Amino acid sequence: MTPAIQLNGVAKSYGDTRALSGIDLTVEPGRIFGFLGPNGAGKTTTIRILLDLIRPDAGAASVLGFDCQRQSLEVRRRVGYLPGDLRLYESMRGDVLLDFIDSFRPEKRDPAYRRALVDRLDLDLTRRIRALSKGNRQKLGLVQALLHRPDLLVLDEPTSGLDPIVQDDVVHLLEDAAAEGRTVFFSSHVLPEVEKISQSVAIIRAGKIVAIEDVAKLKARSVHVIEVTFAAPPPPGLFALPGVRELRRDGATVHFQAHDGVDAVLKAIATQRVLDLRTQQPSLEDVFLAYYTEPELPQEERRASA
Amino acid sequence: MPPLNIFAKTLRDQKWQIVGFAFALAAMSSTSVWLWPSVRDSLQNFDIPAAARAFLGSDLDFATGAGYLSGRYFGWTEILAIVYVIIAGTGAIAGEESASTIDLLLAQPVSRRSVILQKLAAIILGLAIIIFGGYAGFLVSVPTVDIAVSLADIAVACANMLPIVIFFFALSLWAGAVAPNRGMAAGVVIAVTTATYFVFTLANGVESLEPVRYATPFYYYGAGLPLVYGIVWWHVGLLLSVSGVLVLLTLRTFERRDVSAGGATDLGLRSVVRRAIAQSTGT
Repeated sequence: MTPAIQLNGVAKSYGDTRALSGIDLTVEPGRIFGFLGPNGAGKTTTIRILLDLIRPDAGAASVLGFDCQRQSLEVRRRVGYLPGDLRLYESMRGDVLLDFIDSFRPEKRDPAYRRALVDRLDLDLTRRIRALSKGNRQKLGLVQALLHRPDLLVLDEPTSGLDPIVQDDVVHLLEDAAAEGRTVFFSSHVLPEVEKISQSVAIIRAGKIVAIEDVAKLKARSVHVIEVTFAAPPPPGLFALPGVRELRRDGATVHFQAHDGVDAVLKAIATQRVLDLRTQQPSLEDVFLAYYTEPELPQEERRASA
Repeated sequence: MPPLNIFAKTLRDQKWQIVGFAFALAAMSSTSVWLWPSVRDSLQNFDIPAAARAFLGSDLDFATGAGYLSGRYFGWTEILAIVYVIIAGTGAIAGEESASTIDLLLAQPVSRRSVILQKLAAIILGLAIIIFGGYAGFLVSVPTVDIAVSLADIAVACANMLPIVIFFFALSLWAGAVAPNRGMAAGVVIAVTTATYFVFTLANGVESLEPVRYATPFYYYGAGLPLVYGIVWWHVGLLLSVSGVLVLLTLRTFERRDVSAGGATDLGLRSVVRRAIAQSTGT
């Protein structure tokens, strides 16, 4: 089956700054694929190469079997795109913008589907874009990307700026698109979002793909960041357990990461009198660190994370 | 046949500008004509020496209707039309990049060439409407005044404004393609326009500066004032040829380079100049 996205050794520099250093990536069709990485890792650069907005210095990129540069029109006919830094024509009304986007693919115009999308996201199309809130602009951006039922949706940080309820609506829209056999490729710097929506994930950092995984496996490796306050300083050695890392004692408060599940850790905690227990979402850094077993972790990373 | 949606959108975006400039030119052409009788009367017993006329920036005979209109209207309203094309021309590419709307536009199945050509066609149509606005002012005023200039000659003179303005439009497009930042593109074109216009008018009648005039685009417009001298076809041809080359350079530059939403990050003069040279020569 033709991959939805195929990148081979794609590299890109801006002047002296290296944005992508030779990335390989294959996205199978019909999946929701998360592209996870911190800001500045190269997510947007990768996405803009897919749409031929920028040209790679080396390597090849193809979408649905079409070369992203030489056959860009074929690519763009089949792709719905939501830019990361979404800017729309401020003086246009929402409906005029959608008409404009529709006019590029007249054969795919589908007023009923458009109305369904607009109703679902509760958008007011009669207002000028400059009068819309950030959330409503983002919704309009999503509608224009979905409008022509593209084979591939490329969404750069689709849920940024949306409140949680609308985020859920968006997630459902993406799931529906995938259920119709279309591919969704979206970037994010928020791990739980990627875990929730996608089936596969690529993790990018500093212009390199560091991991491509099933989300199920990623979850299995998930890290818990735990902070416990005991009634009294706990006995030493209480947390000498497999998978406990980054242990730090601060009087009666103990901070650590649990990399091998929480069962053993919770049982150890329960042997003492507990005043407070907090768990945090692991930061992306924590996830990356969980990915790099010690030998793979570069020296400077270890120092930086210490 | 690709849809002309960008052409239509560009015209729609600029409709108020076009209407505004067209009305401004109409107001100037009609009032110029209507003021002619009193100007003629005051000039009747007053012969301006040739040297003084040259000093005023024109060797035209203001005491004739044709000379009066050439200086009064055709000698400087092209600047107004140039203002329109600088606004529109730098907005075409650099404007969309500065506003970051370019990503959304170029993510659609349309070639960069088509985007530029559709915008170019729309803006030239807008320019034609603006210049016709000036002609409309003549249409209503000339028959009411004894000015001894035919509307047909005036129509030719109005059409003769197109090449010089198109030249500055092409320059604006190219500047906008090279400097993906509208302010910078507009600044450069405005500087070129004012400098060459200043040199052109200043050098008029100053013998030592005479050769410099040939280097200004305005020479190829001004010296051909058709109301007085008739059209100089090779001037028209030269302006349009250079414009054509600038449009080709624009296409070449814009088709080859990365699109930068939000404007280029590296705006150092040297890097912009280097890029302009590299992209235009294909090295």
